Amino acid sequence: MERKVGVWLIFLLHPLWLALGNTEGNALHSLRSNLIDPNNVLQSWDPTLVNPCTWFHVTCNNDNSVIRVDLGNAALSGQLVPQLGLLKNLQYLELYSNNISGPIPGDLGNLTSLVSLDLYLNSFTGPIPESLGKLSKLRFLRLNNNSLTGRIPMPLTNISSLQVLDLSNNRLSGVVPDNGSFSMFTPISFANNLDLCGPVTGHPCPGSPPFSPPPPFVPPTPISLPGRTRVQRNL
Amino acid sequence: MAIFVNMMLGRHFLKILISYGLWFLLSCSLSSCTETDIACLKNIKASLEDPFSYLKSSWDFNNNTEGYICRFTGVDCWHPDENKVLNLRLSDMGLKGRFPVGIQNCTSITGVDLSSNDLVGPIPDNISAIIPFVTSLDLSSNNFSGGIPKALANCSYLNILKLDHNRLSGQIPPELGLLARIKAFSVANNLLTGPVPSFLNASFSREDYANNPGLCGGVMDACPGSSKSPHTGVIAGAAIGGVTVAALIVGIGMFFYYRKMSKIKKKKDDDPEGNKWAKSLKGIKGIKASYTNPSVFAHFI
Repeated sequence: MERKVGVWLIFLLHPLWLALGNTEGNALHSLRSNLIDPNNVLQSWDPTLVNPCTWFHVTCNNDNSVIRVDLGNAALSGQLVPQLGLLKNLQYLELYSNNISGPIPGDLGNLTSLVSLDLYLNSFTGPIPESLGKLSKLRFLRLNNNSLTGRIPMPLTNISSLQVLDLSNNRLSGVVPDNGSFSMFTPISFANNLDLCGPVTGHPCPGSPPFSPPPPFVPPTPISLPGRTRVQRNL
Repeated sequence: MAIFVNMMLGRHFLKILISYGLWFLLSCSLSSCTETDIACLKNIKASLEDPFSYLKSSWDFNNNTEGYICRFTGVDCWHPDENKVLNLRLSDMGLKGRFPVGIQNCTSITGVDLSSNDLVGPIPDNISAIIPFVTSLDLSSNNFSGGIPKALANCSYLNILKLDHNRLSGQIPPELGLLARIKAFSVANNLLTGPVPSFLNASFSREDYANNPGLCGGVMDACPGSSKSPHTGVIAGAAIGGVTVAALIVGIGMFFYYRKMSKIKKKKDDDPEGNKWAKSLKGIKGIKASYTNPSVFAHFI
């Protein structure tokens, strides 16, 4: 009797076990659910498979853990999901040249094996998460040509492996660091933003010298009497 | 008749010109106007002798897919699918010729490595106009001659500047000391003379200046003509001053000593037996004592 129950249990739990089985597959499937895919590039992303390693545009290592997601130039839109931060062995996240919008998830800061983060040429909004400063193996950080706002997070200067940084063509503001790894970056990396300042940009930050002297005091124009035309003075 | 032919040719030529121009503009906009980077590499390839065909074999300008120059040997791009050169690494390729000024069309280049080749001639005087955003410049192990251009001081993003193992002569421009981001600097094994620069945020070792006929100052030996070294000058001055002060002290001390001695001598002359007055007082006391003692009186009766 007990053996029968055992067998039935296995049959019951089997699909459940499969569904729970692969965190990485589930994470990528959440991404698929959040993206609009007119060209069906994600057609092979079948969550019933034991792991995502056979999916197109996904590469795994010898332990069946995802190391690359290559979805550049795929006409995708929609938004990213925080579950991407669960891909703990991910080295290359290539999502460039799409129409993906919404914020960059802060959970991407958990991808401590990440070597390349390419989100350029999309419609991302919001800030660059400070947590990206935790990506201590990052070599390529290309977020150019989006609508990112806010400041450049200082923790990025601590990423000593950073070789290529492109934050150009966004709506960033505030001071551009030139210490740590940022000593290797030139105005090219920061061009065409909203209101960046600092020595790299050529615009001094407000409050720091040199700043322009206050405008000269001009007394207010006298109130004109009715019937007379008033000469407008430019203050 | 001739005029008619001329007009036809002229019109034809104009059509060609217009269509070429349009094609140029179109391809420019498609590749986000990085025609310049393609021109840059074409120019470099044309200006350098390539005896081992490193460039000839890999730098093929006929395959015009997006970002195709990014697959060229020695070319690193900003983005893999865009013809925008980030670094040019042409080290150890047996290349001959002069510094390839065509590189100025690679307007976003930051890394230039031409080390270990057979390049000759000067480093261009207007280097900061050619590669204004350079962060790493390695021209070491070539046959570059002439002076180190002052304009390198305007390449303010330079972190690494390697000019060693060439035939550069003259002085190192002191303005190079203004390079705020410089982390590595070497001019060893050249024909340089004169004082080494003093850098704002860095200091370099003797190895970085070694094997030049006349570099001096800073970590090197002192420059001739100036005081042997500011330190020995100070030490000599201090020593002389110290000796002078000591001599003065001794002199004054001796003066006072002799004065004291002569004063004491004078005193002795005034009172040769010294304290005679005190002794006489003691004597009276003794006599007094004998008068008060009865036993003494008894003797007398």
